[in-house]
Amino acid sequence: MNKDEHFSEEQLNAFVDGELDPEEKSQLFNESERSAKLDQRLCKQRKIKELVQHAYEDVPPARRLGGTPLARTGLFGKTIAAGFFLAVGLSAGVVAHNYFDPGLRGELVAANAAAEQAVEIENYLLHVVSGKPEQMLAALEQARFLLESTDEDEFRQVEIIANEQGLNLLRTDVTPFAEEISALQRRNVVFYACSKTIQRLEERGVKVELVPYTNPDYTALDRVVTRMQAGWKYEKI
Amino acid sequence: MAGNPFTGISQRRAFKKLVGNSRDRLYRMAYAWTHNPHLADDLVQQTLYKALNNQKQLKDVGAAEAWLFRILSNCLKDYYRAKREVLSAEELIIVNNRTPEYESEEQQLVDKVRRAVSRLPLPQCQVITLVDLEGFTYATVAETLEVPVGTVMSRLCRGRRALREFLVDVRPQSQLDRATTLKRVK
Repeated sequence: MNKDEHFSEEQLNAFVDGELDPEEKSQLFNESERSAKLDQRLCKQRKIKELVQHAYEDVPPARRLGGTPLARTGLFGKTIAAGFFLAVGLSAGVVAHNYFDPGLRGELVAANAAAEQAVEIENYLLHVVSGKPEQMLAALEQARFLLESTDEDEFRQVEIIANEQGLNLLRTDVTPFAEEISALQRRNVVFYACSKTIQRLEERGVKVELVPYTNPDYTALDRVVTRMQAGWKYEKI
Repeated sequence: MAGNPFTGISQRRAFKKLVGNSRDRLYRMAYAWTHNPHLADDLVQQTLYKALNNQKQLKDVGAAEAWLFRILSNCLKDYYRAKREVLSAEELIIVNNRTPEYESEEQQLVDKVRRAVSRLPLPQCQVITLVDLEGFTYATVAETLEVPVGTVMSRLCRGRRALREFLVDVRPQSQLDRATTLKRVK
């Protein structure tokens, strides 16, 4: 038996993966100096490892339905509070300024300012998955309660995300709560419609029209994850 | 020491930071296991969601990374289970026959290796990518995948041997199909 055959393939793998103890490593080094065949076997193992590393240095980006999640931008904690409302304000100005009445625009500006000066308080993401009107109403009432349970100098952000059957809450043709939603929007509650649910409905030929100022750029799961990462409270209703 | 290591405010922040910082690495791993960007992204989101919801289950801060990748692995198992496309992970081979445009020799090499990795049975693919891409020790991989270290070593051995063979014998691009498919090998 050749000397290099003393070393099993598993030992060679352990060598290239740094798993051998110093004594075994020295032994293999010494043998590979003397045996070109062993050296070649080691090179082949190392080459495979390096090829795999090379092949996944840059992987294709995720094909997101919505925008880049906040987690990737590194915006956490209070920065989100100011940044998010600033983004809403900017989006409102750029994308939908034709729809905004001056009063609402003014309220959004005030919200931005309030967010920047906010004292630390728990923010909430409410998640609506049910198509039952009583569940939808419960979510809206919970949002209203959360806003009213703060002191005057406190600023609490509340968002509502709807997906699956819960998306009906935000569809103009089926929601029974358009007025309530509008009232909450004026108090800076932000509504999100799950982009994946919208996509599924549209694939089935359903035309989805959302109540004004609803954000359709995120999946529900993504929104939940990013808000929880930012320390928000989460309630599924 | 027993107990959740992320109990205080600063520890909770550290946990969230860990989870946030792991996102890209989890995505790369999920991509290497599935070669499907959309599925990989969904798996990572599920992983982060579960991690944030179940952080109390993490008893050892030093094991946090292995724990995250274990959740990712379990999410992938759940996905296949729900799809009813496989009976067990051992039976699964992911065949990725996608044919992206060849832009350069380097890209050809990358595609060739990815195709070879995607032809491995999932358990071998997972061991190889956790060791090579994450630099996990065999013990950490064993903990992540909940298998003995000896199994890790034998899967690594068979996987790398298969990769060597695949990389020697790669069919021309024109002969490959365009779809990504999952096959049961039994």
